[in-house]
Amino acid sequence: MNPFPMVWADIRALRWTALAIVTLVALAVAIGVAIGAQERALRRSSAAAAEDFDLLIGAPGSQTQLVMSSIYLQPDAIPLIDGRLLNTLAKDERVAAVAPIAFGDISRGYVIVGTTADLVSRWGRLKPSEGRFFAGEGEAVLGADVSYKLGETIEPSHGVLGHAAKPGQVDEEEAGHRHEGHGYVAVGRLPRLGSPWDRAILVPVENVWEVHGLGNGHASEEAGIGLPFDGQKIPGVPAIVVKPRSVAGAYQLRAQYRQGGTMAFFPAEVLVTLYRALGDVRDVLVVASVLNAVLILAAVLLLLVAVAGLRRRRYAVLRALGAPRAYVLLVVWLGMALLIGAGCLSGLAVGAVFTRAVSGLVEAQTGLRLAFSLESREMLQVLLLFAIGSVVSLLPALMSYRAPVVAGLRE
Amino acid sequence: MPVSALPDGAAQAAAKPLHLHGVRLDHRGGDGRPFRVLDIPDLTIPAGARVGLRGPSGSGKTSLLHLIAGLIVPDAGSVAWDAKAVSSLPIPARDLWRRETIGFVFQDFHLIPELDVAANITLPATFSSWRIDKAQHERAAALAGRMGLGDLRRKARVLSRGEQQRVAIARAVLGRPALILADEPTASLDAEHANEVGALLVEVAREAGATLICASHDAALLARMERVVEIGALTGKPLALAS
Repeated sequence: MNPFPMVWADIRALRWTALAIVTLVALAVAIGVAIGAQERALRRSSAAAAEDFDLLIGAPGSQTQLVMSSIYLQPDAIPLIDGRLLNTLAKDERVAAVAPIAFGDISRGYVIVGTTADLVSRWGRLKPSEGRFFAGEGEAVLGADVSYKLGETIEPSHGVLGHAAKPGQVDEEEAGHRHEGHGYVAVGRLPRLGSPWDRAILVPVENVWEVHGLGNGHASEEAGIGLPFDGQKIPGVPAIVVKPRSVAGAYQLRAQYRQGGTMAFFPAEVLVTLYRALGDVRDVLVVASVLNAVLILAAVLLLLVAVAGLRRRRYAVLRALGAPRAYVLLVVWLGMALLIGAGCLSGLAVGAVFTRAVSGLVEAQTGLRLAFSLESREMLQVLLLFAIGSVVSLLPALMSYRAPVVAGLRE
Repeated sequence: MPVSALPDGAAQAAAKPLHLHGVRLDHRGGDGRPFRVLDIPDLTIPAGARVGLRGPSGSGKTSLLHLIAGLIVPDAGSVAWDAKAVSSLPIPARDLWRRETIGFVFQDFHLIPELDVAANITLPATFSSWRIDKAQHERAAALAGRMGLGDLRRKARVLSRGEQQRVAIARAVLGRPALILADEPTASLDAEHANEVGALLVEVAREAGATLICASHDAALLARMERVVEIGALTGKPLALAS
């Protein structure tokens, strides 16, 4: 028995209705897929962006705020901690490397981050994709997406709290708060990190201090840049990143700098809390999307039951021509399962497009690059929807199977 | 062109005598009370006969065809194809018997509008096998030619009524049925087409040696039959047709 010529004829007879069914199912699937994939992508790329920041030390306050400012470079006014701590930490044997993060200035809408070459190279992991890393004051290393060219002069402006600068654009706020007489020359560029740091301009922390009239932290102008800072007065910084030598050391450091006017924590802890909240939101959205899918399936089923009812005579004719009941059952069931299956497949594709579109928006907003991936979770979700749809389609199929032939012929 | 000249090769299913014995069929009316539609003490239709069923609307002509086709079973009595008591077979066996034995032609053609001429003719072949073999394709093409249908790729929905009924006849005889049942095959056609279609139906049945039972009001069509049975007059009277 080969029901497919008849299945094909049935689908052709529906035409736009068939298309509408496929579209509805596809939308239901796409929404579910997009929610799952989006949340995972956000989690993964935000975790990847925080990878090189093992331990953060800052002034007591909001850990989340410090993470957002120093790792995701969302500007905020952060209280400073004593810069001498940098020297102390650099000498601590539990510390493999330490670097300050100082921000506050912008140029063309890009955040200018003052730090040391250690953090620029992510503790030696990265090589510049162009040029070299900074080796003296007045030099700058560009993030991958920064529109300045090597050799260009970068003029810093004081960032204004509450003013959201658009990366790549000089606006009135920025033009009105220029630090006159200061400038950087771009000497190198970082490879793409997929994080907000792709939109940052990295400069020696000494320059950031000097621009704000705090000196350079060194005893003489000729001392070069970077640790140790041997000046009489070492300016404060909003955040210090520590790369501990061992896990045990990391916990000891965290315990030690949790008191005495500083706050120390693992950014991963903050992220875990955020992910838990994100997961809760996702769960709510998933429940909503499942309900959505159930509603759509129910609507499609009703439609198909109505269609099967309208086709009673068509199927009765097949029976009169000698078709067994199983043939009619298969025709109805396969037709519906095919439509739902086509909806599920195109839903995966539409979900991918959705996710990419949303990822594009997130990237434009934050610089976080979200990698799209479909994984077993979404696949299972779609398979489950297809399985339920197929089983439910048996209902109209059984109705047609049991329909009396003569009554159908007389319609 | 005789059908035997078609590239078929396979043997025609042999027509057998059809016996109805003590058949009673009741329907339930609008008021819920049952009324008797058919009461046939005895009717035998010999193998290869061409029998017209005539009677006023509602006299049970269509019900008799459905009864013979095994689409319904009588409330009493039996319908037998030679020695096979069709009316007492279970549904799957009746479906199988119908598929192997009967070709059905309806008043309103009942083609599948979305399928083309060739697919409509070969549709019954897909009830029993996955592939339509070359011989069946050739037979379908030959039957279409025999019916005067040129283009096999035209969709059924664009055909004229006369053409649709020709496709329906080709579909009915594709499987070489031993028994062809036609329910008012000319009633939806104008006089000219009715005449042509009626002639074709009788010709293919005669050439195939199949029994043809044809319910109709069409005097011209009934005139092509060997016997005409008055359905209204059948009730209560024993009746046997000699071949």
